[in-house]
Amino acid sequence: MSVQYTPVLWNRNKILYDAALLIAVALYLYVFIRVGPMFEDVTRPIDGAILRMRAFGSCAFLMLTVILCIGPLARLDRRFLPLLYNRRHFGVMTAGIAAVHANYVLGWYFSFSPTDKYVALLASNTGYTQLLGFPFEALGIAALLILFVLAATSHDFWLSFLGAPLWKALHMTIYAAYVLVVLHVALGALQGPGDPVLTTLVAAGVILVCGLHLAAGRMEAGRDRGEETARNSPEETGWVVACEVGDIDDDCARVVTLDGGERVAIFKYDGKLSAITNVCAHQNGPLGEGKVLWGCITCPWHGYQYNLADGRAPAPFTEKVSTYRLKLAGATVLLDPDALPPGTHVDPVEIGGAA
Amino acid sequence: MTWKQRTQAPFYVGYLNAVPKPLVVFLTVFALCFIAGLGIAALALSSTQNDPGNGGFQWGNRFEQAGVLELRPYPVFRVPADGDTPARTYMLAGQGKRGVFDAAETNRQKTVSLRGVPISRGDLTMIQVGKVTMSDEQDAGFTPSAPVPLGRWKLTGEICDGKCYAGAMRPGRGLAHKACADLCLTGGTPPVFVSSGPIEGRSFFLMADREGNLLGDEIDPLLALYIEVEGEIEQLDDLMVFRADLTTARVLK
Repeated sequence: MSVQYTPVLWNRNKILYDAALLIAVALYLYVFIRVGPMFEDVTRPIDGAILRMRAFGSCAFLMLTVILCIGPLARLDRRFLPLLYNRRHFGVMTAGIAAVHANYVLGWYFSFSPTDKYVALLASNTGYTQLLGFPFEALGIAALLILFVLAATSHDFWLSFLGAPLWKALHMTIYAAYVLVVLHVALGALQGPGDPVLTTLVAAGVILVCGLHLAAGRMEAGRDRGEETARNSPEETGWVVACEVGDIDDDCARVVTLDGGERVAIFKYDGKLSAITNVCAHQNGPLGEGKVLWGCITCPWHGYQYNLADGRAPAPFTEKVSTYRLKLAGATVLLDPDALPPGTHVDPVEIGGAA
Repeated sequence: MTWKQRTQAPFYVGYLNAVPKPLVVFLTVFALCFIAGLGIAALALSSTQNDPGNGGFQWGNRFEQAGVLELRPYPVFRVPADGDTPARTYMLAGQGKRGVFDAAETNRQKTVSLRGVPISRGDLTMIQVGKVTMSDEQDAGFTPSAPVPLGRWKLTGEICDGKCYAGAMRPGRGLAHKACADLCLTGGTPPVFVSSGPIEGRSFFLMADREGNLLGDEIDPLLALYIEVEGEIEQLDDLMVFRADLTTARVLK
């Protein structure tokens, strides 16, 4: 969290994250360009420029695959949540690696010609109506443009400027970029002489990304259908039965789903209960999977914090989320399903002897 | 399916330097696996790349000979027999992705001295022309032989740009190289048909249209694909010329 915009708010965890990334990428490129060729069985070496464009291109593909796995992995196993924290650096680095790949392609396949290399890139192959021989470079260009836009708008300034819904929708185009990259590889590199290793890696990457998303989606759907869906209270009209007080761990939340699909996080802390929307104002993170730290709800994704009673970020921060009214019927927690405007103060419910 | 946060569960907040110990162990193992996984993937991908063959520039074997420049329909250089060495016909390309039409037009049917660098792959040799000068040895005795018709054939194979395929790029064929090949041909590099089976011992054919004229944009949809096409073949010394009837072309895969 920050009230001012600086390029990067460095901390030890971000440095370690980026260091691991840089080591992995440097190792990949070194092994691909320097070590691998020592073991290849070729009559004469592959051109250095082609080797490097393959190294950077395959690296970008694998990085993008891992990036898309982080989200569902973090849903399926919370130990992966730290990978989410600095994912934007991962994305920016991927855009950079993809740009180097594109630069090698431009500087090799589209240079040494009387035609301008950018004109040549767009005009050399215009067989858009054929599948075999399709100008797959165009797919790569489109993917690269998306990666550039996402990298350029990854900073919290843009999140604040565009607003969370638009920013989130914009950054969901990463999936379009991935589809374009897969098609770029499938209609380009995979159409060459048989390369079982590349084919296997691409197929495994696509299956992994799709499989993890399906598994995470199935888990979320199961939660929505499961016992956490709040039922109408038979005694109290207009209220729904959320859970039992004993269901909630101290300084933690219980997430309940309302009929309309809205999720509400009910926190227990200091012998009290408060309810807020489950959606963080920063990047739609699941607040109910956070904890109460220093008297504030803390989002598990990026650590954004909110006061329990009014859903407002502590000063000087300005984010705020919707709150909900609660009451107790014995040990049963009842919830008014009508969300209050973001930042509305609601007196916490004292648990007393109900716990 | 139910889930809820637990008091005892380790909780990570990125901007706090203190990371719960179970997460430190988990993340360390993950980071090591991630780094090692990328290294192994790089080794597997890099060490199993397809052999681009033996084509390449013959930098240590500069070409300088006297002969006659012709357009058939692309620029070729006809060299007379010399002792036991029979007459030869070389395809020509310019620097980069350029042809040598200007020099060939200017010196058409003239005896010239041509300097350049050979690019060779097996029995395919193309000369990257450096300089063309009027030959001192104006031996009017050399008259290049007429083409020898070899009849109509159906060939299967791939249309490449002759220069990249000869070895200017390794690899210099296939769909990944299609746009580059297109650019080369547009620039004047001769197209070459690489046949899957030899004819008279030759697998590389300088291409022309069925009338023997230059090929145009009509080959673009066929470029770099595995195709079948019929046409007349004629022999110019050691060079085969394939006058392809593109109306018979069929993409095989």
